[in-house]
Amino acid sequence: MQTRIRKSMIGAAFGFAIALISGGFAGILAGLVAGLINGYVVPEAEPLADKRRAIVQGLTVALVGSVLTILGIVLRNVVIDPIIGVPLNLIGVAIAAVGAVLLCVLVSVVMCVVRTEPPARERIGMAIVVGIILVTYPWLDQFLNLRFMNEVIPVLVFLLMALGLNIVVGYAGLLDLGYAAFFAIGAYAAAMVSSPHFGLSLSFWLAIWVAAAVAAIFGLILGSPTLPLRGDYLAIVTLGFGEIVPIAIKNLDNVSLSLWNYPLFVDVDLTGGTKGINPINRPWLPIIGEFSPSNPIPWYFLILGIMLISIFFISRLRNSRLGRAWTALREDELAAGAMGINTVNVKLLAFAIGATFSGLAGAFYGAYISAIFPESFRFDVSVMLLCMVILGGLGNMSGVILGGIIIQFADRLFLPQMSTVVQKLIVASGNESLRDINFASDFRLLLFGLTLVLMMVLRPQGLVPSNGSARVLPVAAGEARHD
Amino acid sequence: MTTAMLELQDVHTYYGNIHALKGISLTVNQGEIVTLIGSNGAGKSTTLRTISGLNSPRTGQILFNGTRIDRLPAHEIVRLGILQSPEGRRIFPRLTVLENLEMGAFTRNDSVTMKEDLERVYTLFPRLRERIAQKGGTLSGGEQQMLAIGRALMGRPTVLLLDEPSMGLAPVLVEQIFTIIQDINKQGTTILLVEQNALMALAVAHRGYVLQTGLIVLSDSAAALQSNETVQKAYLGME
Ligand SMILES: Nc1ncnc2c1ncn2[C@@H]1O[C@H](COP(=O)(O)OP(=O)(O)O)[C@@H](O)[C@H]1O
Ligand SMILES: [Mg+2]
Repeated sequence: MQTRIRKSMIGAAFGFAIALISGGFAGILAGLVAGLINGYVVPEAEPLADKRRAIVQGLTVALVGSVLTILGIVLRNVVIDPIIGVPLNLIGVAIAAVGAVLLCVLVSVVMCVVRTEPPARERIGMAIVVGIILVTYPWLDQFLNLRFMNEVIPVLVFLLMALGLNIVVGYAGLLDLGYAAFFAIGAYAAAMVSSPHFGLSLSFWLAIWVAAAVAAIFGLILGSPTLPLRGDYLAIVTLGFGEIVPIAIKNLDNVSLSLWNYPLFVDVDLTGGTKGINPINRPWLPIIGEFSPSNPIPWYFLILGIMLISIFFISRLRNSRLGRAWTALREDELAAGAMGINTVNVKLLAFAIGATFSGLAGAFYGAYISAIFPESFRFDVSVMLLCMVILGGLGNMSGVILGGIIIQFADRLFLPQMSTVVQKLIVASGNESLRDINFASDFRLLLFGLTLVLMMVLRPQGLVPSNGSARVLPVAAGEARHD
Repeated sequence: MTTAMLELQDVHTYYGNIHALKGISLTVNQGEIVTLIGSNGAGKSTTLRTISGLNSPRTGQILFNGTRIDRLPAHEIVRLGILQSPEGRRIFPRLTVLENLEMGAFTRNDSVTMKEDLERVYTLFPRLRERIAQKGGTLSGGEQQMLAIGRALMGRPTVLLLDEPSMGLAPVLVEQIFTIIQDINKQGTTILLVEQNALMALAVAHRGYVLQTGLIVLSDSAAALQSNETVQKAYLGME
């Protein structure tokens, strides 16, 4: 009972924070998040025997979750809003509170019940719950007038990249500080073939494959000089690549090449220099037509689809021979070689496959923004991705997704929203000297650094540590259970 | 006549400018335990690393069952059945005992024979069965050594290269490990055993080579080396 309540504080804290920071009907979403987190986290503390106990447990954790969420809603909508000049709307507050409780109870109970199922059915059940939430989210967003969709899409783009980086850093143990370079390479490769820039104007559906392939090839090219390097040396070289690529892109707007004084081409603008490439073709599908910049829903489902397919492939890879070779490489390169693992190929494949996902992300991102610039792919993107991977837990996909969601939403949504509220509070209090501080942008990198340091000190294995034993082969797993 | 399974002919290996092996020639016949003894820095590990393809010899040849292997990459040499339990054990610290053993069978990846081989390793090292789900890094030194040897056995070696299996172990454990090395040999695995503990190594080996600063200075049957005066003085601590 004690641990149950202590663990439900995790979801409750998220519910409270979201309701407090985002305000309005976001409180309803906060209830949903609290229920989802608690339904996932809590039942592990006490394995549930039967459905009735599961329902009781679901209600208990939902109670903790909704009480704090309502507290957040009240604090924001009743106390803070009037101070910062938003008129008090008691009916709206009541609707938000009731909606939050309903969703929190519904999700908690369903999740707790699903978790009593045997593992195979449990997994399907969880997938269905998460699936329903993901599929209905765009309409929930519209219905609650949240306007989060334009942030959710780049969050998913970054999550896709974090999953790719996790292959390199988490699975194979190769610290890559310049991973954003492949994002840039993918984005530019797609933009060059899928825009009027060279008059090629291929369809997005072809360009995305070009991007993946080009990124993979650059993964090999940039990976090969690092083969003899380890640890900090590898980190420094990849850091260099991360810096070189955007600078090269910026300067490849005036390329001439000659072979023995015979000019092959003169003054070709490969990348558009600082002006970037603009416009880039948007995807087109029957019925939907060309994806429109004003309607985020098709974009959302497109990137969600790419994510799901990627997650499927990455988890298959993880359990394959190559995945086991990456594990061995990460643990001890010399021993991996002594086991007969071709460490050279295995490393190159980690770089190439990791880069592929970044390439996909780049192609999508370019089409979504319909323009790309060399400045979008600097070092802080690489650092942000590394934070996402480390916060959740190196080498564990669900951990990386969780860590990624937390960091991305904090960065794109909650910090700016919080900053706005705090600024308005400062203005309301009449304190003139502090009004120029914008802590969303001023403290952003500080907060990342702080997160990294705190994680390294307090919980180096990440929020959801990867579990080595979960990866034994089926034959051997039978053995293990005898003991 | 015995057949040479592994043969080194005038092998020279360098680390940059450092001339570590200055013309090593040695033979390991099928079914033997051959030991390579010598003091620290003599080049014992370098010899094993050169056989395994982790270092490549600048000149000289290495033959396995009559074919040259000295230009093959390390992972192909493992596939031929030459497996090494490296110096310092080098087990995978964050993987369980079972996962470590499975990694040893990486080149085969065949679940039926894997099960047989696991059984064989557990019979040789009952201790490992008890520790099956424990992380390699949390094992004691002796258990780690057992795991390192067991892991190499999972690759079904025809020749097993052991680099200082007794290093850092308590005397009781050392005896135990050497008994098991003999058992493995009796089951049909040819062994090249590198040791600083010459006393124990010569007790279990059939033949031995003495290595000194990259050169082989003596080679004989183990019994003859045990009674050799220079060996007694330099390596067996007898006056
Ligand atoms: N990685 C290395 N780089 C440079 N020199 C090395 C390296 N490894 C070993 N050596 C040198 O090669 C010689 C033989 O070393 P080694 O084979 O490890 O000896 P042993 O195993 O007999 O103690 C020593 O002089 C050692 O200093
Ligand atoms: Mg040595």
